[in-house]
Amino acid sequence: MDLDKLLEIGNQCIHSEPPVCVASCPVHMDVIAFVHEIEKGNFAGAYKIMEQKIPFSRLIGKICDHPCETLCVRKGVGGSIRISELEKTVIDLGYTIPKKPLLLPKNKGNIAIIGGGLSGCVAAVELNKKGYKVTIYEKTDRIGGSLWEYEGKGLETAVIKEELLVIEKKGISICYNTEVLEENLYSYRGKYDALYLGAGEWSKAYRINPETFQVENSSLFIGGKIQSHNHSVIMSLSSGKRAAVSIDRYITKTSMLASREREGIFETKLTYKIDNVKPIDVVVKSSHNYSENEAKDEASRCLKCQCDACIKACVHMQRYNITPDRYIRSICHNERIVLGNRTANTMINSCTECGLCKEVCPIGIGMADIIHATRESMVERGKMPLSAHDFALKDMQYSQSDYFSLVRKQPSKEASKNLFYYPVIAFSAYARGLYKGSGKTGYLFYPGCQLSSTHADYIGDIYKHLVGVIKDKDADNDVGLYLGCCGAPADWAGRFDLMPESVQKIHKTWEEMGEPTFILACSSCASTFEKYLPMIKTLSLWEVFDTYGLPEVDIKKGKRELCIHDACATRHNSALHESVRSIVKTLGYSIHELEYSKEKAKCCGYGGLVSCANPEQAEDFVKDRISESEADVLVYCAMCKDAIVKGNKRAYHILDIIYGNEINQDSPQKMPTLSERQNNRKHLKQRLLKEIWGEEVMNTENIYNFTLHISEDVFAILEKRFILVSDIEKVIDNAITKKERFFNPQTLHYLARLRLQNVTYWVKYAEEGTDIFIKDVYSHRMEVVEG
Amino acid sequence: MKDHIETTTAWVCDKCDKALVSQKVKVRYLEGNFEVDLLKCPECNMVFIGEDLALGKILEVEKSLEDK
Repeated sequence: MDLDKLLEIGNQCIHSEPPVCVASCPVHMDVIAFVHEIEKGNFAGAYKIMEQKIPFSRLIGKICDHPCETLCVRKGVGGSIRISELEKTVIDLGYTIPKKPLLLPKNKGNIAIIGGGLSGCVAAVELNKKGYKVTIYEKTDRIGGSLWEYEGKGLETAVIKEELLVIEKKGISICYNTEVLEENLYSYRGKYDALYLGAGEWSKAYRINPETFQVENSSLFIGGKIQSHNHSVIMSLSSGKRAAVSIDRYITKTSMLASREREGIFETKLTYKIDNVKPIDVVVKSSHNYSENEAKDEASRCLKCQCDACIKACVHMQRYNITPDRYIRSICHNERIVLGNRTANTMINSCTECGLCKEVCPIGIGMADIIHATRESMVERGKMPLSAHDFALKDMQYSQSDYFSLVRKQPSKEASKNLFYYPVIAFSAYARGLYKGSGKTGYLFYPGCQLSSTHADYIGDIYKHLVGVIKDKDADNDVGLYLGCCGAPADWAGRFDLMPESVQKIHKTWEEMGEPTFILACSSCASTFEKYLPMIKTLSLWEVFDTYGLPEVDIKKGKRELCIHDACATRHNSALHESVRSIVKTLGYSIHELEYSKEKAKCCGYGGLVSCANPEQAEDFVKDRISESEADVLVYCAMCKDAIVKGNKRAYHILDIIYGNEINQDSPQKMPTLSERQNNRKHLKQRLLKEIWGEEVMNTENIYNFTLHISEDVFAILEKRFILVSDIEKVIDNAITKKERFFNPQTLHYLARLRLQNVTYWVKYAEEGTDIFIKDVYSHRMEVVEG
Repeated sequence: MKDHIETTTAWVCDKCDKALVSQKVKVRYLEGNFEVDLLKCPECNMVFIGEDLALGKILEVEKSLEDK
């Protein structure tokens, strides 16, 4: 993984970009923090924030020409926030007498300030703070320059005097009535390490560097009106501050330009959308300045402009309170760490890779691909936590094994001729389709492992329907069946090493079958095919239903409203979205569109194997999703239904409404357990082989001479701990046959253990003849060396 | 891994009908190899690991080794 390139992407994230008010303030006062304090009623806190960036803030806050307000995002929706008015109130209510300055040794150099006006005073104070011995040369008998123009017009005489007194208190020398002219400037340059010229007017026009305020490479720096050619108070202040930075760099011989791109007014990359912002009018002052409450109200109008589109949309980023910029830095740190803990592992495995962040990001940063590459890199370097995806990968292995995997061509005319003798079937579309068998497989129905786990009963009916309707219109092309797993779990787990096996198997079948079009019923299969098998033409089952017709079902108008939860893996497939909606409407339901639908679909929490790696995070996803609407949810992905029903929300798979299996509104919905899901797959294969292809399957099930009794409570534990009934059976079998078990004479319980692959399973049980009552199950991965 | 490990228990080895004793046992996971005191059958050496230990300290150590 190219971490430098990744960091570059992170740097494009505009979450930390300042709002336009801060960027257009020459000294970058933190406006958001400022209004936050006002809203809280903490005016002293707000004053502190002014002080951080504005020298002489008690004066400047009253007279600033506030360029910030011109560009305020609120401008078009009620009027710009009156930052300047807020500053005045904050000074009145929050000014606190500064602490006595610490007089540190001033030994970094000697600086002369020519002109005791505003910019000169600012430069003097700033340089004094940096450890320089500063002398101001002022031609009149008072410093402050243009500040005095505001005497009685915003500033009180006493306050001006009090504030300017600070300069001498800091130990800055002032030479009053000392006019420096161009003619004798040279002698000063000899005496001082650097000179700051802020005299307001000057006889010679120097060429001043607009970034550094330096005159060529000399020790002379010029700011204030001579440089800015305007009367802006805040610009003058800014030039004094910036020149002080330059002088310090000049004397300490550091780069004059490095990291200064964003000094002064700059353009922020942040764009804040006001589409959903309600207009609120500017708060009107009831007297000369805003009162405390008026100021709070005005501050509360501030939009606190910050880009948080991705965080708002994603509970994963919310849980970790992280934005792409910091996320990427965490990833890089996690990748580079040599000794110590990789603390970001769980976070990296808690992203569903759904891609919503990219959809909502104004500059299109998407975490899904980054997370994916990171997981692959973790796997490659042997740093992927084994427990995160182990169960899902073993379940995938099961799907790809002979327990479930199956490829069959459509039964031939010859093979199914018996069917035609039965009058009921003989005239069904299915039988007609079989009768037209051509021997050439044009379509291959690929229901996927998850639909076959949770909705196994539909698969046979769908297959027969497909044969019927497709053959009716397209007599040349038979419809075959392919049960298997596309490899999506391995893809999510970053197991790039496992992908070729999954994908090549599918590719080989496709070639052997004469390159048929795959009919997919699972959105994750669809993305896996798109990514790894782009040469295979695919159709979604819903598009096929929409085009060739639905199974004959009861269609009544005026059924209730359902909200459609689109599958995140299909977010860019608008044809599929339309097919699903068309089917739902045809069946007589009305549709409530969620805020996050279609290309902005939110994940149910199953994506990226999050429910395996971090179940709590997966729960966040479900909770967030189901809170979007009161209406029952319609889904077209088996995993989505599983997640939503487990989140205690009534959900229907589109097949449920197609086949009229909307169950009783009052009865609770239940999804199959992990063990049932495996059994459903196995039994589906056996059932289909027998029913459609007339093949008897040898029962490969282990026959044990005991019967397990597992209560609902214990089943819940099994689910939570990813333990299968088949694991328990093996433990018990071993315990009984080898007597490898502990016995508790007090409770009469047995406790047995068995290591299966890389996990040791423990089962506590009571034995009554051949009846085994399971009391508890747990496991660990740590291997215990016995003997 | 020393904390919270029981040193006595009502459980006995069913095969050998022996009370369990606390002894040093080798455990390993990924790159980690430890010796810890665990309850075991003095005869057949079968090691006892209770639920609290499996889901507590052992899980904690497993996780920290996975993040190493």
